[in-house]
Amino acid sequence: MSGTKWWVWVLASVLVISSATGCKRTVRGPGAAGRPGPGDAVTPWDPDQIGLEGWDSPERPFDLEGRIIQELQGQFDSVYFGFDRYAVDASERPKVERVAIFLRDHADVGVIVDGHTDERGSAEYNLALGERRALAVRQYLTTLGIDGSRIQTRSFGEERPAAPGTGESVWSLNRRAEFSFYR
Amino acid sequence: MPIFRRLLPALLAVAALAGSAPVRGQITVTKPGEGKVALDLSGLRATDAAGQEVLAVLRADLERSGWFQLVGSGQGQVAVSGAAQSRGGQLQLHLEAGVPGARRLLGQTYRGTPAQARAVAHQAADELVKAVVGRPGMASARVVFVNRRGGTAKELFVMDADGHGVVQLTRDNTLSLSPKWGPRGDRLVYTSYLQRFPDVYLIELSTGQRSRLSAFPGLNTGGVLSPDGRDLALILSKDGNPELYVMQLATRRLTRLTHTRTAVEASPDWSPDGREIVYVSDAPGAPRLYIIGRDGGRARRVPGLPGNEQVNPSWGPDGRIAFSARIDGRYRIAVASAQGGGVEVVSPADGADYEDPSWMPNARHLIAARAAGRRSQLVLLDTMGDPPLVFSAIPGDSTSPHASP
Repeated sequence: MSGTKWWVWVLASVLVISSATGCKRTVRGPGAAGRPGPGDAVTPWDPDQIGLEGWDSPERPFDLEGRIIQELQGQFDSVYFGFDRYAVDASERPKVERVAIFLRDHADVGVIVDGHTDERGSAEYNLALGERRALAVRQYLTTLGIDGSRIQTRSFGEERPAAPGTGESVWSLNRRAEFSFYR
Repeated sequence: MPIFRRLLPALLAVAALAGSAPVRGQITVTKPGEGKVALDLSGLRATDAAGQEVLAVLRADLERSGWFQLVGSGQGQVAVSGAAQSRGGQLQLHLEAGVPGARRLLGQTYRGTPAQARAVAHQAADELVKAVVGRPGMASARVVFVNRRGGTAKELFVMDADGHGVVQLTRDNTLSLSPKWGPRGDRLVYTSYLQRFPDVYLIELSTGQRSRLSAFPGLNTGGVLSPDGRDLALILSKDGNPELYVMQLATRRLTRLTHTRTAVEASPDWSPDGREIVYVSDAPGAPRLYIIGRDGGRARRVPGLPGNEQVNPSWGPDGRIAFSARIDGRYRIAVASAQGGGVEVVSPADGADYEDPSWMPNARHLIAARAAGRRSQLVLLDTMGDPPLVFSAIPGDSTSPHASP
C-alpha cells in the first residue's frame, strides 16, 4: 500500500466516524501510537483486514481447557452474524468491546473465541466459515489493542447449535461467536 | 432426475458381443443405456450352509455392481458355474465364467477361513466384474464414515461396501469429522476435537495407533493424503485465515497454496496423479470448486458447474470430479470433468439433500450422505442410472462417507 493511499484511508475513516457519531473520544488504553484502545466509543474497523494477522507461535497455549475460568462462562454475550457473513456488524461490536475492556483490565487472562454457523450447507465449508467468524472477532479485538497471542479461535461449524430446530429464527441464533476465558 | 435405464433385452448386448472384438475377451458395456450383461448363475452350487452364504453375498455383489442382469438357466450371455463349500475348516469357492460355446473368461479358486466368507465372495465378485466387463469392482472396498447416535458426539465407523460388517473405530465422546482413507487403504486421516480443538490425526489401522499430524493455533482440518502417501493437503488458519496447505509428512514442512485473505477454503482432494488439488473456495461470494497445482501457483475455477454453490469435491480414479451442488434450494450430487464438461446430476430430485460424495474404486458408483427430515443416511449412487441404494440399517445419523481405494 502506498503512503498516499494509507493517508487517504485514515482520513476517510476519521471523516466517516466523525460524521457518523458527531464526536470522537480520545484514544486511550494499550493502543498507544494512534492505535485505538478498548473503551473508545467508536473504532475504525475494516472487515477486509481479517486474515492478515495469524499467530506468531506455532502452538496453542498448553492445556487450554484445564485453564478455563468457569465463573466467566456465559458472562459475555454471543456475537451474532448475518447469513453467509463473517463481518462483525456495527450493532454487535459493543459486545466485543466489552470483552476487550475485560482483557485490558486482566492482563493474565486470555480468550477463546468459538465460531459457529447455522445448519445449512456443507459441514466442511461451515467449519471454515465458523473459523472465519471467530477470526473476525479476533481481528476486532486486536484492532482494540489486545495482543493476538491472547486470543485463540476455535470453530465448531454447524456441530454445536445454540438453538435446536430449523428456520431463520433458529438459524440467526446459531450464527454466532462465543467467548470463554483462560488463565 | 437421472435417466433410469432398466435393462434392454439381451439383443443389444448380444450385438455388442458379435461386433468388434472386445479387448481381452471382455464383454463391452461402454455407455449407459446399452443395457447390462445377461448373467446366468444357475451353474453355481453350494453343498453346505457356509457355501450358501458365500454364494448369496456373491450374487448380491454382482447385482449391486450394476453391470449385470441375473437371468435363468441357459439365457445368459455369460454363464458362471462352480461350487462353494467348507472343506477341513477352510472355505473354498471355485468359479468358472465364460461365453457359452465360445470363450472362457475366468477360472479361479478362492479360499479363506469361515470368518472370511464375505470377503471371499467380495473378491470373487470384483474379479468376475473385471473379467467380464474389464472394469474394477467395488465389492471389496470399505467405507469409513461419521456416525452420531444421540448426544452431540460423532464417532468414526467402518463398513464393507455392501453395508455389512459395521465396526466402530473411535470411542472418544467428542467430534470426529471428515475421515479419509490413505492411498493404500491402511491408514485414515481425520479431524478430531480430542484435545478440545480441531486437529488433524492419522490412524494406522494395522496397529490402531493414532498420531496427531497438525495442531496449529486456529483451525486444522480437511486433511487428505496424496496418492503417493507422502503429502497431506489440509486447511489451516494459523496465518490468520482458513487457507489450503500441503504438509510433507516426513518433515512436517508446510507449503501454503492459497492466499485469499477475504475468502475461506475447504474440502481439498487430490487428482489421481497427485499433481493437482481440487478444493472449495468462497472467493466468488459463494462456495465454488477450484483446482490448483500441488506446489501452488495460479488456481483455476472449474467452470460450467450447476447450482449456485458447489461443495465436497471428490476427484475420482477416472479423472471425473463428483461434488454436491445446491440446485433449486437442495443439494444434489453431480459429476463433471476437471475442465467442467460432461456435467451429469446423479442423485434424484426427491426433496432430500445429497452431500459428501466419495467415488467408489470402480469409478462408477458414489457413496454419499442423504439427509431427509432430521435424518442423514448413507446412500450408494450409480452414475450410470441404477436406482440409489440407502443403507437404512445403520442407526443414528451417518455423514461424510469415504471409500477405500
